[in-house]
Amino acid sequence: MLRRHRREVSVVIAIAALAIVLAAVAPGYFARANLRDLFLANLPVLIIALGATLVILTGEIDISVGSVFAVCGVTAGLAAKAGLPVLAAGLAACAVGAATGAINGLLVAKVRVPSIVVTLAMMVALRDALRWGTEGAWVQDLPTGFQWLGLTQSLYPVAMGAVAIALVGAMAWGMRHLAVGRAIYATGSNPDAARLVGFDTAFVKLSVFAVAGGLTGLAALLNAVRFNQIPTNAGLGLEMKVIAAVVVGGAAIRGGQGNIVGTLLGVTLLSAIGPALTFLGVSAYWERAIQGGIILAAVALDAARERADTQRTRIRPQGPAYV
Amino acid sequence: MFDRWFPNGEWILLVALLVEIAIFSAIAPNFLTLGNGFEVTRLSIELGLLAIALTPVIITGGIDLSVGSLLGLAAVLFGAAYRDWGLPLPAAASIAVLVGLAGGGLNALLIARLNLPPLIVTLGSFSLFRGLAEAVTRGAVNYTEFPSGFLLLGQGYLWSVVPAQLPIFLLVFVAYVILLHRSVLGRALYAIGFSAAGARYAGIPVSKRLALVYLLAGLVSSVAALIYVAHLGQARSDAGTGYELDAITAVVLGGTSVFGGRGNLWGTLLGLAALSVLKNGLHLAALPSELTGVLIGTLLVATIAVDRLRTRGHAPLAVHSEEEETPVKNSQVAILCGAILGGAILVAGTNVWLIRSIQPVLRGGSEASAPTGTRRPVVAVMPKAKGDPYFVSCRTGAAEAAKELGVDLIWDGPTSLDAARQNELVENWITRGVDVIAVAVENRAGISTVLRKARQRGIGVLSWDADAEPDARDYFVNQATPEGIANALTDEAARLLDGKGEFAIITGALSAANQNEWIAFIKKRLGDKYPDLQLATIRPSDDDRDKAFSETQTILRVYPSVELVMAISAPAVPGAAEAVRQARRSDVKVIGLSLPSICKPYIDAGIVQTIVLWDTRDLGYLTVYAGSLLAQESIPEGTKSLEAGRLGSVEVRGTEIVLGPPVLINKANIAQFDF
Repeated sequence: MLRRHRREVSVVIAIAALAIVLAAVAPGYFARANLRDLFLANLPVLIIALGATLVILTGEIDISVGSVFAVCGVTAGLAAKAGLPVLAAGLAACAVGAATGAINGLLVAKVRVPSIVVTLAMMVALRDALRWGTEGAWVQDLPTGFQWLGLTQSLYPVAMGAVAIALVGAMAWGMRHLAVGRAIYATGSNPDAARLVGFDTAFVKLSVFAVAGGLTGLAALLNAVRFNQIPTNAGLGLEMKVIAAVVVGGAAIRGGQGNIVGTLLGVTLLSAIGPALTFLGVSAYWERAIQGGIILAAVALDAARERADTQRTRIRPQGPAYV
Repeated sequence: MFDRWFPNGEWILLVALLVEIAIFSAIAPNFLTLGNGFEVTRLSIELGLLAIALTPVIITGGIDLSVGSLLGLAAVLFGAAYRDWGLPLPAAASIAVLVGLAGGGLNALLIARLNLPPLIVTLGSFSLFRGLAEAVTRGAVNYTEFPSGFLLLGQGYLWSVVPAQLPIFLLVFVAYVILLHRSVLGRALYAIGFSAAGARYAGIPVSKRLALVYLLAGLVSSVAALIYVAHLGQARSDAGTGYELDAITAVVLGGTSVFGGRGNLWGTLLGLAALSVLKNGLHLAALPSELTGVLIGTLLVATIAVDRLRTRGHAPLAVHSEEEETPVKNSQVAILCGAILGGAILVAGTNVWLIRSIQPVLRGGSEASAPTGTRRPVVAVMPKAKGDPYFVSCRTGAAEAAKELGVDLIWDGPTSLDAARQNELVENWITRGVDVIAVAVENRAGISTVLRKARQRGIGVLSWDADAEPDARDYFVNQATPEGIANALTDEAARLLDGKGEFAIITGALSAANQNEWIAFIKKRLGDKYPDLQLATIRPSDDDRDKAFSETQTILRVYPSVELVMAISAPAVPGAAEAVRQARRSDVKVIGLSLPSICKPYIDAGIVQTIVLWDTRDLGYLTVYAGSLLAQESIPEGTKSLEAGRLGSVEVRGTEIVLGPPVLINKANIAQFDF
């Protein structure tokens, strides 16, 4: 049983090791306020990573999420300034994200342009178009009801905790128990076989990109409402963080393998590293190198174990890994 | 016919390239010249080397995101070996090459030996290599002062016009052509990309061939690093940032499939040419840099979409019987014509939009061709990063002065901090033939060579906001000295903390030159005057409000005795202030260097006590004013002051034009500042 979840086990072990070191050296890390702030800072990454997981499961990739995140954040801000209530502004952000995702999906699924090319083009074009349109000026003077979605600063984290649990739970359950989940795994594992079985793989891919875009819009909103101004250069490098978290969590870039819980664990591990290094007194100059090293170590460790498994069993089923 | 010469639909890109050349010839001054042609070539060589190295990697179905970071690491270790360890130049260069091989070897080991996905491996090494470069230099060290013989490699010309690095590029290109297109190895790479399993069954040693292409990519990255250092005259930890995506764009644009098994080096060369000509032409036409990204994105998707539609049309035809041969040919011709027309329409549509965007420039151009006596001077001003609120504010003042003086203002720069792209833009302005160039210098050593070249061409040169080498510019428009800024910040911190206690600094990027200079002076001021005031930590914000926010939250917990946060990057002050506010730490003070407009809510609420700044609009205003005077040769040597419109008389100290002392902005006076 554990063998099917070896990647998740590896990530749990890494998280546990980090937690043990922190508990011994810097127990202040576990203060409730710190954990709450870490949660709020990384909630957008988690939500985007959930969408990216679906994309990666179908064997595609999306590196435009950072730019889409910035565009959706500005959209939410401008909508709020125009007088829309905050939830309507959020819907506008999600709609823009979903539309962008649908364009990506259309080009990938129907025109069959490689997803890394489509989303690379989208990333570059959106980022520069946003700079051009706003000339770098921040969105300011947001209405008072915008920050914290109109809730209080103390109530907002509780609501967001519920949102996160609901999203992760629903997606994990759906991927395991719904036909749409099987369609996604099938499309990523072997698109030709999936098509023969009757799945419309083009529709699956388009839908997955649209959902991922919508989730990016949601993430942009939830990040924007924590502040009273919205910068236009948000999300730089976000795509690398998201992809790293998804892959460290066990998803195969080739598609067909991975799950929502793994993504949750991946986001947890990678988001904990930066602040942990500060608590441990490590200089900021080493942070990026350590991040890169951990990513490589995580995937290399998994490969080494897989090699050992292969030699032991010789023939092993290649089915998708379910939660 | 097309399929023989352009097996991967490269003719679509060739058409786009020819259209680009035709349009820019019409609208961009000095575009179609031999000098500009070679200049485009020179500025493309580092990127071209990476693109060439990536082509076989992508043909095998892999990818390498770490080539840009590896370039940075090799550059930094080359600089360290030569300057810190005192090795002779050949030994230092050998170390750079070894670093490239080691980096490529790491990728090769993980991808070829452990069968890991290339994307995630090189994503990890992308972070690892860049992180190591930052760790070695502690973000701040910038290696300069290389011997002039070495610098010729990146800055010199053969026969006065051919870039010195071009032969190296051609050598690498020929070597790769032989590898990929004239050897059994190359055929093996295509087989692996088409089907790795099939290649293995055919007896090809897949692991060894994959390892080879990643190793070679590392090697070529280090060669590109050496040329980069020679070109800019400096080695810094952020060298090569973003190059991997540009290189991948060129490769894919050139018809190589990211699924593997298809592509060639001529296509990569064509893709590189399309990208470089597009950037060069836009700069010469004085169109905003942001357009580059939009047009490249459009070109990328359009080119590949047309090619996809074309190849889709071929597949069903293969099953037609021989009796239908004639109808098949007609169908093929129809599909090809449709694809050509579609591609042409897409490119033409893009360029129609382009022409509409440049109408104002054309009008300006026609005025520029008026008789000499009435020609409007062209002053080109470059911020460090166009998207930074600080420089957005400077632009307002610059535009005001340009209108007042009847000067044509070109305002353009990199969209994010990038010394190499600053250099590229200055080169383009030299080719265009502007009257004055004013640069907010991102990197002193890197920019000075190209500014000296501008002066040799009779162009007036100013530096503003941050200075170049004195012999590389005519005047420096100094808003305040680094020492003045640092002292103002330190004195204000001391005043608020009664001369004792702990404070933290939130800087910009770890490698930001201005911030590092300020920090050095702050430390000196602490040592000289405030021994009881202690700097607890320095954390980066990367000029990102959200990151400044998170870093400040962490600082408040890890260093509970910190009573003041000094944020010295414009977006970092509101980030730090919001963190203090949300933590309800009314005992913690925030000061910094930022804009009143984005800090006003926090100053009014009493969270930010003071920001130190100069009037950024006035800085932009004064820069254009000085540029106009320089263009008219109205600043005689030995001038002590000059009249600058609404600013009145400003002081000239030697070759520095001084705006004035930094301003302390607080609750009492912030209403006066609306920028």
